[in-house]
Amino acid sequence: MQIFLPIADVPVDLFVLLILGAAVGFLSGVFGIGGGFLMTPLLILLGIPAAVAVATEANQIAASSFSGVLAHLKRRAVDFKMGNILVVGGLLGSAVGVEVFRIIKSYGQIELFVSLCYILFLGSIGTLMFLESLSTIQKSRKSENTFKHKKKHNWIHGLPFKTKFKSSNLYISAIPPVIIGFIIGILASIMGVGGGFILIPAMIYILGMPTKVVIGTSLYQIMFITAFTTLMHATQNKTVDLLLALILIVGGVLGAQLGARVTVKLKAEEIRILLAIIVLLVCLKLALDLMITPNDLFSISYGSGL
Amino acid sequence: MRALIFTIIFIFSTSPFSLSSVVSDIDKSNIELSTRFDGTSILVFGAISPENDSTSLLIEIIGPSTSVNIRKKVQIWGIWVNKKIAHFQNIPSFYQISISNPEHPILKKIENKKLKSQFYDFLEINSTPKDGNVVEQSYDELTRLKKKLGKLRTFEEQVNIIDKKLFSHKVNLPNKIHPGLYKIKMTLIDQQGTELSKSEQSVKVSKVGIQEFLSYNSKNNPVFYGLFSVIIALFLGFSAAQLFRWLYR
Repeated sequence: MQIFLPIADVPVDLFVLLILGAAVGFLSGVFGIGGGFLMTPLLILLGIPAAVAVATEANQIAASSFSGVLAHLKRRAVDFKMGNILVVGGLLGSAVGVEVFRIIKSYGQIELFVSLCYILFLGSIGTLMFLESLSTIQKSRKSENTFKHKKKHNWIHGLPFKTKFKSSNLYISAIPPVIIGFIIGILASIMGVGGGFILIPAMIYILGMPTKVVIGTSLYQIMFITAFTTLMHATQNKTVDLLLALILIVGGVLGAQLGARVTVKLKAEEIRILLAIIVLLVCLKLALDLMITPNDLFSISYGSGL
Repeated sequence: MRALIFTIIFIFSTSPFSLSSVVSDIDKSNIELSTRFDGTSILVFGAISPENDSTSLLIEIIGPSTSVNIRKKVQIWGIWVNKKIAHFQNIPSFYQISISNPEHPILKKIENKKLKSQFYDFLEINSTPKDGNVVEQSYDELTRLKKKLGKLRTFEEQVNIIDKKLFSHKVNLPNKIHPGLYKIKMTLIDQQGTELSKSEQSVKVSKVGIQEFLSYNSKNNPVFYGLFSVIIALFLGFSAAQLFRWLYR
């Protein structure tokens, strides 16, 4: 059934969108990832303008991370103080990111910019994940928990503005969480991702947070940042398509629930290799689209003067 | 309205007018763009009293104005990048022209004249002094791309004339059209292209329902729209969490 998206200004098939939402939701349920970094490029490949894909995906992630954070609240697995400091950095990052986005959009190069960001990110993350999983499989005997909690004295402990994080059992400077939050805010606003794939390793390896509060706290920050990013994109760029977001939320919720409950008869490393391949394929498709000589060199865009 | 028109048609079709004239009506004066909109058609009909056998009827449909950029892909470091090369200020978002007599001797000339007045005269380009080649190329690309998108149709379909007095013409609008006022102009012309008589109708195309609510508020109340989007998302996230907690209790 074809529907017309009011802000994206394109006709799309409702069922294709629902299935896409469910498929990405399913993958995020199986792999325990947010899925924004897959959904945004897939929306772009489907013909949704990049600016709308990014802003709308932020809106969808606000829904899914809120749903997730509620589950973690029940288990008291959220470090609110750390979360709030990350949020402060994130709000700043998001504001800066949306402004950068607006400027690039005014030059008419937002499609290219978003594509390049994605090629860079998906390419490096996919490659890293692929290589890491390969080496883990090779020495599978030795492999234990990948998220190993390292609590050693590093440069972080030399910074000022130290404060106590009770839930995380840490006494560290507030500067690193603000900077990490800031980077996540930028990523959310220019790429339409939650940023969990960077936030979680950063919380474990840089801040030294215990694994049990990492997921809940990251969801807590992501929820605020994506909600704020949605609001910023709506006011600065007017690119949030609520109808598109609603369809993706519904599809995503169903898919994620299925994915979380399905028993995958694969080892963790094999799952990660599979995910790495998906990520690399999307990256390759985006890169090819930029490099292959287009069929039609000319195109029309709507907008004001030269 | 309909009855009145048919009365006029009746009078026209029986009275021995010598002066050329055209009266017309359309089957709808409003088109609603909902989220389910998938294109529509407008039926234009009426009566003509042609001067002689060589009189032809032209029908033009002119959509609301938009500003359009022509972009060309250029290769920079192996990557294809869009470059804006020309701009057309306030040109019709949709334009269709049809004629009752496709054998009209100066058809091409009429087409060129009409397109010039609708599109060509509104071109702005990036270089000064205006590079003649860029001007021609931009104009050619505009018409080619517009034709490809179904937003520009020149003499693709013939206007039906019944018994030299009545006419009907079905205009198909694509699924992606701009809201606004669509003007429908009917003109009787002779062999030399001289206009003999005119009639004009209009159709209002407007967004309705969710389509109207979302696009209006996104443009005019962005803060409300942004907050609304966030609240809806959070509410759905909350509902999903509750629903699945209840399901798997």
